[in-house]
Amino acid sequence: MTPHFEQRAGVRVFIHGGEPQQPRLLDCEVPASEELRVVLPLACNVAEGLLKVLAGRRYGSAVGRILCGGAAHLSYHRMVTTQDQQRPYDYGQAVVLDGYITFVSGALTVGRDAAGAPLLHCHAGFLDRDGQQHGGHLVLDRLIVGSEPLVLRLCLFDQVAYQVQPDAETHFNLLHPVFQEAS
Amino acid sequence: MNLAATQTESQVQSGRLGRLVVARLKPNEDIIDSAEALCASHGISLAVVRGGLGSLIDAELHYLGRSGMQDIHVPGPGVEILSLSGEIALGESRLQAVVADADGNIFAGRLQRGRNLSFITIELTLQEWLPD
Repeated sequence: MTPHFEQRAGVRVFIHGGEPQQPRLLDCEVPASEELRVVLPLACNVAEGLLKVLAGRRYGSAVGRILCGGAAHLSYHRMVTTQDQQRPYDYGQAVVLDGYITFVSGALTVGRDAAGAPLLHCHAGFLDRDGQQHGGHLVLDRLIVGSEPLVLRLCLFDQVAYQVQPDAETHFNLLHPVFQEAS
Repeated sequence: MNLAATQTESQVQSGRLGRLVVARLKPNEDIIDSAEALCASHGISLAVVRGGLGSLIDAELHYLGRSGMQDIHVPGPGVEILSLSGEIALGESRLQAVVADADGNIFAGRLQRGRNLSFITIELTLQEWLPD
């Protein structure tokens, strides 16, 4: 199938290259969560700092928010068009920023890769030193805390994980909720 | 908007957070409709958004201005969700989002029902509110 846009009830929809798969909502229920407030210090690599915090804890996955803080260096991606007819949109080259970056928003998922190792997915909004807004897909292993500590709130849960799996409809590897034992 | 317009006294409710619903929305599914469907299927009458991350085909936000609700159209595809918050209650959900377009520009507002469709995926986690 050739990816294309259609209109349904006045709203634009996008038909991907692969066959749509049912059901359209995938979900798992978890009885309870564990809450963490994480403060990462200046010069901390955020991916390394977060994984160190989570190491040894019993959880399947986690979701959270960037509450406040700054960065000295970061790298993020925005969506661009591609020449791939089956996957006409993808993330472009990294946009790299240095110095005096202030977070204004951010969301985080701690999923699992195919081997069960933690996998970080983060989108965030921030201002650079000139007050210019930026927002997109943040690469946490290239994010260095700066100016002030970075505060995150995490909601950990077990028995269910966001596990990366290939998606036949979009041709991306995506996080899917699955039942599994905590590790 | 009706709740705020008809309520004249503050209300305080004590309670706790209960079950989590950990979900993925496939392409072309609306955030509010999906969140309400998830709550209905799990027998949850009121929930809060704990996590919302993914991308939209286009974002259709709005806010209350001097002359009623004003629309904010953020063209995509690939509008990134930077944060999602709010409450889910059948037919009365109110969700706010901060999003970024493909140039990295940031927009914020209340989500319009039925008009914010998942582009590639949305990871959505809801948690039940259990009043005492």
